[in-house]
Amino acid sequence: MRWMYWLAVPLVVLVGAPLLIVVPMSFSTSASLIFPPPGYGLQHYAAYFSDYAWLLPTANSLLIGVATALLTLLLVVPATFALVRYPFRGRALGRALVILPLIVPNIVMALGYYLYLGSLKLTQTYLGVILAHACLCVPIAYLILEANLKNFDVNLERAARSLGAAPMKTFWLVTFPILRPGFLAAGLFAFAHSFDEAVVALFISGRDVPTLPRKMFESLRMESDPVMSVVSALLLAAVLLFTILYAVSKHYRSVRLRQRATTPSGTANISNSYS
Amino acid sequence: MSAFTMAAPAVHQAQTACVTPQSSYLCVSRLCKSYDGQGRAVDGVDLQIRKGEFVTLLGPSGSGKTTTLSMIAGFEAPSEGDISINGRSLVSVPVHQRNIGVVFQNYALFPHMTAQENVAFPLRMRRLNTKDAMDRAKRALASVGLSGQLEKLPTQMSGGQQQRVALARALVFEPDVLLLDEPLSALDKNLREQMQLEIKRLHTELGMTTLFVTHDQSEAMAMSDRIAVFNRGKIEQFDAPLTVYDRPATRFVATFIGDSNLFDVVIDDPDEGRVHSELLGAVRATSSNLSAGAKAHLMVRPEAIQFAPLRDAAQERGVFTVSSVLNFGDRALVHGKVGQQNVKAMAVNLDTRLVHTGARLAMSWSHEQAYVLAG
Repeated sequence: MRWMYWLAVPLVVLVGAPLLIVVPMSFSTSASLIFPPPGYGLQHYAAYFSDYAWLLPTANSLLIGVATALLTLLLVVPATFALVRYPFRGRALGRALVILPLIVPNIVMALGYYLYLGSLKLTQTYLGVILAHACLCVPIAYLILEANLKNFDVNLERAARSLGAAPMKTFWLVTFPILRPGFLAAGLFAFAHSFDEAVVALFISGRDVPTLPRKMFESLRMESDPVMSVVSALLLAAVLLFTILYAVSKHYRSVRLRQRATTPSGTANISNSYS
Repeated sequence: MSAFTMAAPAVHQAQTACVTPQSSYLCVSRLCKSYDGQGRAVDGVDLQIRKGEFVTLLGPSGSGKTTTLSMIAGFEAPSEGDISINGRSLVSVPVHQRNIGVVFQNYALFPHMTAQENVAFPLRMRRLNTKDAMDRAKRALASVGLSGQLEKLPTQMSGGQQQRVALARALVFEPDVLLLDEPLSALDKNLREQMQLEIKRLHTELGMTTLFVTHDQSEAMAMSDRIAVFNRGKIEQFDAPLTVYDRPATRFVATFIGDSNLFDVVIDDPDEGRVHSELLGAVRATSSNLSAGAKAHLMVRPEAIQFAPLRDAAQERGVFTVSSVLNFGDRALVHGKVGQQNVKAMAVNLDTRLVHTGARLAMSWSHEQAYVLAG
């Protein structure tokens, strides 16, 4: 089966190379996007960090991403509880409607939002982009939360109730902490999707609230400005950093738990007659 | 069902409210549960339980015992009927105000809390300050032999340890009633016996009124003051373990609890306990209130059957023909036939030397151990 390993090599090159090619490009001295770069320098980084036309879309995308993630969670959390836990007429239809934006082609959705939000005078506003993005993120967040909630043991809530916790207390002390990783994942995916989204942003964001993908798209089309390779490299670095932080925190947490388990607490008397 | 839709007021509460005799502490009256038209999972259950009593709800799966427990805990609302503790109806009391301790089959320990935090949880819900709650939780864990495991998370504990934490958590707030829903079914045999003793010990020490759900009849026999035998949503018998074993009220109870041989008989004289059948001829038995001429079942437990060599080799009636023997030395499990009917016997002492495959033996029993129940 050794040949299968060799099969993996072209796959890694094919998937990995386009990701990594932006890194040398971002240090290029050339004034346009050409590969290989004629020389290396930091001039594009300087350009990015001093150009309002790049920093504004970056800030816009961050703002819209965070707002989208929050709005998505606000919509999806109650919807998931209702759809997973309570049998009611039209539940299957409700679930299908929630999933729909995932199935309908993005360009169709974009045109719909363009016309609909236009009639509400919400195109070219933050609110318009956030609303449209939240709609696109709902199915993603829903699917993540649905899987989490289906695996959640209802007896835990019953136990909390029987031990004296009122419904809201039960949610905050038991349900929410246990489902927190699911909420976090759902929010993170919503943020990432919004940050990355170009089609709807092209239709709705306009010149007033350009998002980063929109700016990059236009920059490539108009002037093939190498600054966009800087943006790409920075995003790549951010993702890498985030992944590493996550792995480190996870490792740290498991170490801490193991320590907590093996160190008997100071006052505990260890006369265990059963073990 | 979820934790958030509980304890809707019962529809027919007024007609079925508990009429509580002085001795009764937990009272369940005409309790019914039906799920949208699909028959009744619980169908008119009545229970009068004394304070401090250990009662087992025993029955096959789907017989309504767990649903009954759920309604007492408040996880499900009854369709009809009433539940009361100490004369106070619980039906409209929400779960978190019922003060009932529940131990779940899968323990349901909070995975994000240590053993001590789990046990302190009900105390904190009762507004004890953190220090007092943690102190009492520590003592409760020590009383179930877990004083060295305070800081462990549930995932770092064995099944038996988790079970003890669940017990401590359900007992630490001194509930009015303790409900145990098949708490031992996930444990292996040794651990199960150990936990049975532990639960009995805690019950004796604390005198807690306890309802224990199981489908394991020997567990029910060993642990309970009284057993309520469930079948198809109804209670077939509610009596002390030995009464249930020796004097089963119905054919179902006779076959569900322990091994039993049932012979079809006709009653000749109910006062004298005389019955007869094709297979056995005329025999004496202990009879319940049945009238002469009625058809009935004669129940004989395998261990009640005694063997003797046949005096008359030509005897036909009541002859036990051995078809297989498992001899353990001190006792032997004997399968055989009387006429066409399969009969199971547990031979002891010298009888074990009589039984071998193909042997034809005279079969007898003391009439106290032959019980007649309605057909």
